[in-house]
Amino acid sequence: MTTSVVNNAPNRIHVHDRRFGWLLTMPGLALLLLVIAFPVLWALFTSLFEYTLINPGFHTYVGAGNYAKALGDPEFLHSIRVTAMFVVAVVVLEFALGFLIALMLNDTERGKDLYYAILLCPLLMNPVVVGLIWRMFLHPSLGIVNYLLGRIGIPPVNWLGDVDVAFWTIVMVDIWHQVSFMIVLLLAGLAALPREPYEAARVDGASSLQCFWHITLPLMRPVIVVTLLIRMIFAVKTYDLVYIMTRGGPGVATDFISYFIYRSAFVGLDLGEASAMSGILLVIVLAMTAYLHRSMRAIS
Amino acid sequence: MKKFLYALSLSTLLATPLAGSANAAETVSILMEGVPDTEYVKALIPEFEKQTGIKVNIEVVNYAEMHTKLVPQLVAKKGSYSAIVVDFYWVGEFVKAGWMQPLDKRIADDKFDTTPYVPALMDLVGKVDGVTYMLPFYNYAMGLTYRTDLLADEKNKADFKAKYGSELTKPATWGDYLKQVEFFTKDGFNGVVNQGLRPDPIAMEWSNYLFANGGQFQDANWKATTNTEAGRAALSQYIQNINKYGPVGAASFGFDEAFNVMAQGKAYSYITYNFFRTSFDDKSKSSVVGKVEIMPVPGTAPGKSGSLNGAWGWAIPKSSPNPDAAWTFLKWVESFEIAKKRALAGGSPTRNDVFADADVLAKFPYAAALKDLLNQSHNFPTFTYTPQFVEVLGRELSLAVANQKTPEAALATVDKEFDELARKDGKLK
Repeated sequence: MTTSVVNNAPNRIHVHDRRFGWLLTMPGLALLLLVIAFPVLWALFTSLFEYTLINPGFHTYVGAGNYAKALGDPEFLHSIRVTAMFVVAVVVLEFALGFLIALMLNDTERGKDLYYAILLCPLLMNPVVVGLIWRMFLHPSLGIVNYLLGRIGIPPVNWLGDVDVAFWTIVMVDIWHQVSFMIVLLLAGLAALPREPYEAARVDGASSLQCFWHITLPLMRPVIVVTLLIRMIFAVKTYDLVYIMTRGGPGVATDFISYFIYRSAFVGLDLGEASAMSGILLVIVLAMTAYLHRSMRAIS
Repeated sequence: MKKFLYALSLSTLLATPLAGSANAAETVSILMEGVPDTEYVKALIPEFEKQTGIKVNIEVVNYAEMHTKLVPQLVAKKGSYSAIVVDFYWVGEFVKAGWMQPLDKRIADDKFDTTPYVPALMDLVGKVDGVTYMLPFYNYAMGLTYRTDLLADEKNKADFKAKYGSELTKPATWGDYLKQVEFFTKDGFNGVVNQGLRPDPIAMEWSNYLFANGGQFQDANWKATTNTEAGRAALSQYIQNINKYGPVGAASFGFDEAFNVMAQGKAYSYITYNFFRTSFDDKSKSSVVGKVEIMPVPGTAPGKSGSLNGAWGWAIPKSSPNPDAAWTFLKWVESFEIAKKRALAGGSPTRNDVFADADVLAKFPYAAALKDLLNQSHNFPTFTYTPQFVEVLGRELSLAVANQKTPEAALATVDKEFDELARKDGKLK
């Protein structure tokens, strides 16, 4: 009898702990359900109906009709392609630049805080302000950028009005704004790396490049994957810069998916179709997340 | 701590409805666009508050934000805006959705006289199918702003005559104007500056080109008619003006950027909203003070206009928390006395009696020209899906300007999508 009580005690405590744990997390979970799950489910539900703001209500069930309509719209598919190009461009370029600066800062002792403060400034700015400032800087005839280029004999560049240039202008501004995010995360990862492998490698005569390739990069992989994942998700949702700087133009050169969905909802007033488009965007983001998560687990 | 939390919860519960009802009774909240006419209204608000004891809270946002902020409030049973301002191309949509209160009974009860309004504006932002939903607030009919000093220059006159065999004067026809645009584009100076940003800046500006060429958006049966000889010519001219005679980057300019180019003396002409006329004479904004004048966009023949009409109207939404206070404000702000004060401050009138007022004419001699401009302007098609059509038009024009589509292909898409929207609205059978 005594033995039995003693043997069951840890299980009872364990079960009790689990219940208590759930109890403690319930308010948080309820809040999460309310602010995240409910709107997502509501949007998915809305996407199954012909729901317009002129005639709001779930009167006409259309099933997958809104999804079919969205996927059959060449303008929407184009916006997915443009967004994909943008995500690849900014994530690759910001990562390369961010990692380079993070490595430099990691080896810097003097003035590190000052560099850090300067680099963080763009990140602290609201994207709308960033868009407005750059739109002024890049004004072809009255902006400071073309003025400075003109001083060294370069003719004015049509930054936002040329189909071949506007996309890369948005990429450039996004890099200016967001590269600090990469730097901060990568620098935190670099600072947490153990020193012993480097010291051992130095004793064995390894060069800096070999240390980077065989020690830094493998040890940093989990941090890199998380950084890339977060940045990709943010980049897919880019809206503010396009809205302020180009409104999707010239032509449809910068017509990103978030801006496209916004127009469907608040100009077209078609919440059903806009919700279906958001559902498609959600699937894309979830697929990316799952892929990177799996990659991270494989690396770990 | 427990007592404090109880007290806090109780006071919050009690304070919320009380604060709401107090606001509803005494405060008129209005969402307005950040334009000069809004500033003129704001400057006069203390006068209204002193007279009536009603507070006025004006929330000013960028144009692009207006529709997005308004719609959720209009859909709600009880919104936060007592009164609203409505752009002309939202009128069809707002009426169809039943978001605005008819004003006829209030107008009749208070004997508010609507006859002084310019009839074209009452058609645009006043009555819909015989029901008055709005009072016209200010007009933004578009006109041709041009440099008078360049036209008066003797060397320019001689050179122009030598090149074209005609006198260099204020353009009488659209063809004359296009020649002047070509003539003045030289030595880094531009014959024209355009607002090529999509969707509404480019759509509104190009409409003037369409009307100036004798084109129309639709026929009497609401069948689209932009892909016609006039429409294609209008788009080819527009592309040429932006890409050949305009400054670098005009394809991405909004109206403020295009205005700045003109105001800094870097272009001969700019087709724009008439409320900018005052700003060209403002030393803090312009380096061409006294050198710019406005006229109706010339048409296919002398005396014909190609100008696009545009205006905002005051309305009371059905979701207004305090419609009576809102109507008190509307009556006051649209009274002759206040409308005249706004005009004297630089506002764009909508009433004939204000245009004809001696004080207004003395201060702004060009007010008569503005009245002509207004009376000769063409209306943009207004129906339930006008905002969507502006999106389509802006996208296709921008594609044509960017040489991604030919004018024919772009206008064919415009016509196709216009027909679909008109059919959806029941306008096109």
